[in-house]
Amino acid sequence: MSALALEEVAFSYRPERFIDRLSIAVQPGELVGLMGPNGSGKSTILRLAAGILRPRKGGIAVCGRAVGSLGGRTRAGLVAFLPQILDMQAPFRTEELIALGETAGPGGQGLGVDEAMLAVGLDAKADAFLADLSGGERRRAYIAMTLVQGAMLLLLDEPLANLDLRYQLQLVQLLRDIARSKGIAVFVSLHEIWIGALLDRLVVVKEGRVLADGTPQAALTASTLQAAYDLSGPIDTLPLPERSALAGLLGRGNSG
Amino acid sequence: MKRNRGLKSKPAAALLAACLLIAGAAVVCGPRFLNPITTDAATRGMLLAIRLPRITIALLMGAALGASGAILQGIFRNPLADPYVLGISSGACLAASVALALDDAYASLSVPALAFLGALGTGALVGLLGHGRRGVLPERLLLAGVGIGFFLSALLLLVMTLARDEGLKRAFLWMSGDLSMTDWENVPYGAAFICIGAVLAVMKSRSLNALTLGDEIAHSLGFNPARERLLLFIAASLMTAASVALGGAVGFIGLIVPHLVRRYVGTDAMPVLVFSGVAGAALLCLADTAGRIAAAPMELPAGVVAALIGAPYFLYLLVRTKRR
Repeated sequence: MSALALEEVAFSYRPERFIDRLSIAVQPGELVGLMGPNGSGKSTILRLAAGILRPRKGGIAVCGRAVGSLGGRTRAGLVAFLPQILDMQAPFRTEELIALGETAGPGGQGLGVDEAMLAVGLDAKADAFLADLSGGERRRAYIAMTLVQGAMLLLLDEPLANLDLRYQLQLVQLLRDIARSKGIAVFVSLHEIWIGALLDRLVVVKEGRVLADGTPQAALTASTLQAAYDLSGPIDTLPLPERSALAGLLGRGNSG
Repeated sequence: MKRNRGLKSKPAAALLAACLLIAGAAVVCGPRFLNPITTDAATRGMLLAIRLPRITIALLMGAALGASGAILQGIFRNPLADPYVLGISSGACLAASVALALDDAYASLSVPALAFLGALGTGALVGLLGHGRRGVLPERLLLAGVGIGFFLSALLLLVMTLARDEGLKRAFLWMSGDLSMTDWENVPYGAAFICIGAVLAVMKSRSLNALTLGDEIAHSLGFNPARERLLLFIAASLMTAASVALGGAVGFIGLIVPHLVRRYVGTDAMPVLVFSGVAGAALLCLADTAGRIAAAPMELPAGVVAALIGAPYFLYLLVRTKRR
């Protein structure tokens, strides 16, 4: 059963169709990237999957259950969504924020707070205020909250924005670990083509339609990139890293 | 390893003890020292008919305003939100002042009821205008409250301009939070509405935490942000309306008390709500007692004294935080 299945989904903010006949599936344990130019519908797709927006047509299922028909608690136990901009002003300490995951979902199926802090490498910052964390740390704190929540599908809207290359690599490593070890499906929108090459699979969208869906090497072809970003000049196939390069790039003992 | 998250028990116990101490002192102290276990009929009468209702009302009002402030700052994600910014009390002031300033006979009869209705009506209007296509949005609600508040304040000034001197003074005292005319009559009603609001708020304290992180995260945590915000807004409006009806408009407590409390009990919504109530009650009771004693036999309005005590302390904390 797919962790996320969008089937023939149609949605629009205005009368004319924006997303039409869109189908995407994400499997448990998979780290999938969602790429495309600004305004291509990435955030909308993630919000549809999270149940924040309702489709006009088609079906959206999370772990086999229609997301629109789920009660709040049940939904929170299946799917978590983190927007691009996370609140810095929220007056919580790291541990308090992560513990808010306990208030969500049916309870009992997520990680404990201490376990989640360890998983994202924030155990030493339990008492720090969110405002005093770095951008990457704050992102990891919110991710730990979703681990406590126990969601089986994690939707992240541009989590790499404003992070430097090292933090980006670390975050991808963390997301891959979460996906592999806990069987959680992770679906992230991103702009960094180079980072996208390190994910399990990429879905490239433009104007609410899927242009390519497959391994990074299959999805990031010159023709797809030209079509997606309206580049008219010739693009040679970019020198992209292999997926297996991630651990080597980070070196040993630097996953936090 | 289980750490005690959120509530820090020592400062919380100290706050509670301070509140009880202040309430106890308020019974005994005043322009005249009263022995609370006396058998003297005159003293007992004075205690029961004058001092106790006044203390009860100060405690109730302070608790309601403190808790309302904690709710509103949470649902608006704005540290400056309080029952006054939202125009709720302007509605109460206008309704009450029309009665107090313009018509004597009609005034004594129905000021609390008018204030309550004025506050609730304004709250409902703010809620309606704050309701967009996607439910009650914080920015919309806040702008609606500020806009309506200014309009009602203008109407209030108009009423004051037309009032006679005696009515003007009465209305002015009422608006400064003067508790000298209070008795038991309205306490049961006020207490009932404040309890309803408080129970609703405590039931929704988990939503209040989630709303602090923004609507999308609240949704992700399983809440319906628009509905939860509306329910919490209703709780705050009920408590504010009841408070204003009991003893007039007391500013400042709803704004400052939650900030002070967070320093001592942490940021979790439940203890912040409960202890904003406790600290608000203590502060207003302290202010009212000090106002009775300081310039006796004259009395200073509790709202004025609360701001005179609280604001410098708040600024002191601000300065200390900057230096740290």
